[in-house]
Amino acid sequence: MIEPLTIPVGVTLEAFTDIDFWTSVGIFAGIYTIFALGLQLNVGFTGIQNFGQAGFMAIGAYTMAILTAEEGMNFWLTLPISVLVTIAFGLLVGLPSLRLRADYFAIATIAFAEAIRLIALNARELTNGAQGIFGFDDSWDSISESIEDFIADLGWTAVPSLFPLFLVTWGIAVLLMFTLTRVQGTPWGRVLRAIREDEDAARALGKNAFSYKLQSLAIAATIGAVAGWLLAIQLAFVVPDEFQPVVTFIGYVVLVLGGLANYWGVAVGAIILWTVLEGLRFLELPISETKIAALRFIIVGLVLIGLMAFRPQGVFGKREEMVLGD
Amino acid sequence: MTDAPIFVADGIEKSFGGIQAVDGATMDVNRGSITALIGPNGAGKTTFFNLITGFYRPDQGRATFDGREVQGRPPYVIARLGMVRTFQITKALAAMPVIDNMMLAAPDQPGESLRNVIFHPVAWRRREEEVHEQAMELLDVFNLTRLADNYAGTLSGGQRKLLELARALMARPRFLLLDEPMAGINPTLGRRLLDHMQRLRAEEGVTFLFIEHDMEVVMNHSDRVIVMAEGRVIADGEPHEVRSDRAVIDAYLGGSSNGGGE
Amino acid sequence: MEAGTLAAGHKPTLGERFSNAVNRFNEAPYVVKAGLGVFLLDLVLVVADRWPDSFGEWILLLAIFAVTVAAMVPFEARPAAIAAVVLGNVVAVLILYHGLHDVAQRGVNGLSLGAIYALGAVGLTLVYGILKLVNFAHGDFLTFGAYMAYLVNVTWELPLVFGIVFAILTTALLGISLEKVMWAPMRRRGAGMLQLLLISIGLAFVIRYGIQFIWGTELRQLDVNRTATVSFLDLRIGRTQLIVIIVGFVTLVATGLGLRLTMLGKQMRALSDNLDLAETSGINTSRVILYTWLFAAGLAGLAGVFAGAITQLQPELGFELLLPIFAAVVLGGIGNAFGALTAGIVLGVVIEWSTLFIASGLKLAVGFIILIIVLIIRPEGIFGQARTV
Repeated sequence: MIEPLTIPVGVTLEAFTDIDFWTSVGIFAGIYTIFALGLQLNVGFTGIQNFGQAGFMAIGAYTMAILTAEEGMNFWLTLPISVLVTIAFGLLVGLPSLRLRADYFAIATIAFAEAIRLIALNARELTNGAQGIFGFDDSWDSISESIEDFIADLGWTAVPSLFPLFLVTWGIAVLLMFTLTRVQGTPWGRVLRAIREDEDAARALGKNAFSYKLQSLAIAATIGAVAGWLLAIQLAFVVPDEFQPVVTFIGYVVLVLGGLANYWGVAVGAIILWTVLEGLRFLELPISETKIAALRFIIVGLVLIGLMAFRPQGVFGKREEMVLGD
Repeated sequence: MTDAPIFVADGIEKSFGGIQAVDGATMDVNRGSITALIGPNGAGKTTFFNLITGFYRPDQGRATFDGREVQGRPPYVIARLGMVRTFQITKALAAMPVIDNMMLAAPDQPGESLRNVIFHPVAWRRREEEVHEQAMELLDVFNLTRLADNYAGTLSGGQRKLLELARALMARPRFLLLDEPMAGINPTLGRRLLDHMQRLRAEEGVTFLFIEHDMEVVMNHSDRVIVMAEGRVIADGEPHEVRSDRAVIDAYLGGSSNGGGE
Repeated sequence: MEAGTLAAGHKPTLGERFSNAVNRFNEAPYVVKAGLGVFLLDLVLVVADRWPDSFGEWILLLAIFAVTVAAMVPFEARPAAIAAVVLGNVVAVLILYHGLHDVAQRGVNGLSLGAIYALGAVGLTLVYGILKLVNFAHGDFLTFGAYMAYLVNVTWELPLVFGIVFAILTTALLGISLEKVMWAPMRRRGAGMLQLLLISIGLAFVIRYGIQFIWGTELRQLDVNRTATVSFLDLRIGRTQLIVIIVGFVTLVATGLGLRLTMLGKQMRALSDNLDLAETSGINTSRVILYTWLFAAGLAGLAGVFAGAITQLQPELGFELLLPIFAAVVLGGIGNAFGALTAGIVLGVVIEWSTLFIASGLKLAVGFIILIIVLIIRPEGIFGQARTV
């Protein structure tokens, strides 16, 4: 029986200030920021609807993990190789699909991402199947220690163990946002935006739209690979389950939350989304764990529908630049 | 300047699922001329434009621009060769400012290549300033200067037509194909457009081919008129000749009932 | 004529080189294209499966190749006939390698999967064709139907028949409600394609995780007999599978006839073909659209029950089926219900055949690969009409 003065929903205040927890949330927010920056380049600035970004993330993560953990290659060497492999796949997908109209391209890319995930799940000799790969983060560990020591020297002794990863993730995210914004203001960026607006007009003015779309996809793929490395390091393992289509969908939620016309907005979208999603953990609702997990996604779905219905330009988008109205 | 025509189309054909949209169109366009392409609705004029500017591939036939074969080549290649077209329904890049629309069209921009953006910043910035100046000058000609920073989507229909033309001119065309440039423009604006066309022809030798329905414009401002009907060229000559051509009259009136259709 | 006729100093990019290669390929004589295509197909089959074991097998393989290419020649302009010939090639090679019995057995197994795909695809393609909506939530209609049947069949312990009827009705109701509450208003506001697509994704989340909220993630079963099998002609099939095939096919035939013969069916097809034209010809489009949703959702619900019956219920049930269903829609030509129907069945059978030589976990990847190949070669699908993009 519920007493009249008891509030059925409780919030644990101390959990709110658990810095280790929030550092972890911050890392995920950072990873999704990077992930969604690639989407922003594609969707917000080139007008191509890449729904396969999770596939590129997987390729980046798996290439790094396989080469480091199973082939014993130097971690730093695997990174550029991983980029090349991801770009190769980007071209492989893009060359046949970019000339298709937008909805076909969306389907083709999502099919590509799912094919990658299925291959990762079944090619056991290569990827260890559902059990995944681990043991690739030794190089990262030593870097992480160095960063911790450096910070400790500066005076802060109770550094959360995940803080170096947090710094690196957000450092990369900020660098990317800065670079992308600058590149967007160049003539190259202008051609991309023209393609987004009206591809035929761009072609009639002498621009090879296909080539630019391919470049945009290849760059987004690379950015996806970077997100993949960071996710792998954060989790300390790489499994196919981490690269389901829902990851790309959440990337889109981040994208539209922050607005489709702005790279810095992506960070805001990611932070808002992850704060809300993880903050829900602290509501002491009288329901089970799985239900809370389900509830989080229901809320994400409702947020997405609500945004699209009432504020499609997101937090930072401008109504005039709103790409979504066809 | 040679006497050879700047553009030649020879037997261009295109069908869409059984419907013959263009049925052996043949014509040539003289250098520095202003030629009108007219014909009843459905004659295949815009389809013809699409075919010769690379937006469709012809089933048969050849198109030659300045001695080079262009049929089947992609639109951007044809545009870079100097053959630029506008669209019947204007394609203003709505969510970009007018000035960006203009600057986009300029040819030879090193900044459009990612490699140059990263490795040769000085070169492309310099060209960007040039292009900006040229764009502003051209906007001035069309009295659009005050709109330069507005989003193109906020422009009125007539202003968009002007922007479409100004933008096409930024591309430094040698052969400009205009699809209904006068449609929806008030007469004053229209006259300014025509004056500009004449000036360009006189000062820079630009060749014009335009599709038009306004007979006053066609008769009084073109050197030559080509008439298309049912996918074929049915008449080709000076405006007054074409006006009284039997086949042309028939085509516009729908053909006679006895033994009619072409 | 100088090489390339490109503006001076312009080096062909990778994309251009690819386009040029594709164009040159397009202009080759048909026999060459057909031969190359069949050669690649048989090469892939052989590499994935095994190389011919004996001289006899080599001869037969080459004979199959030759007959296929010869059979393709008279059908140059008939994509459906070509697809049938290609399918025949695949069947012949598989029979050569695995014998008629195995091929027939897996084929029959594939029919139940195919029926499910077809039921899902018919509805999806009509909605897609009419509303230009890529409905990522369609898979979750299947899940919804499955769980509705579970409610009646297991929770309320009624016979499955009632579960099926309930599933169809509730899913149809869900479809119509969403149309009235969400899709129609968004269309009136001029929502663009990406906006609608993202809404459908949001909807997919809400339905799928709503189901998870109520029923959790544990695998559940419908109250059906999973072990009884039926034999005929030396082939075995699960009794439930057989029921799925029979009921599924009857429904599909009825659907096909309905679309062909009834006024409503013709109107639906007209809208799917050309919405503006249909509107001007006096058809009450919003009413037809409503019926289309009713119909699409109902079929999806039925497909979901079948999927749940032959496998197990989990919240991802429908979404896992969604991509093969999309493949069937694309293969059959978007908006073409008959195409989706045929393609769904064929896809189910082909996917099941692929288990003859690849790990069963990968069989869905075959579906995706077929989808990507179709998008490359003929994006309008086997039965669709070529569009100028």
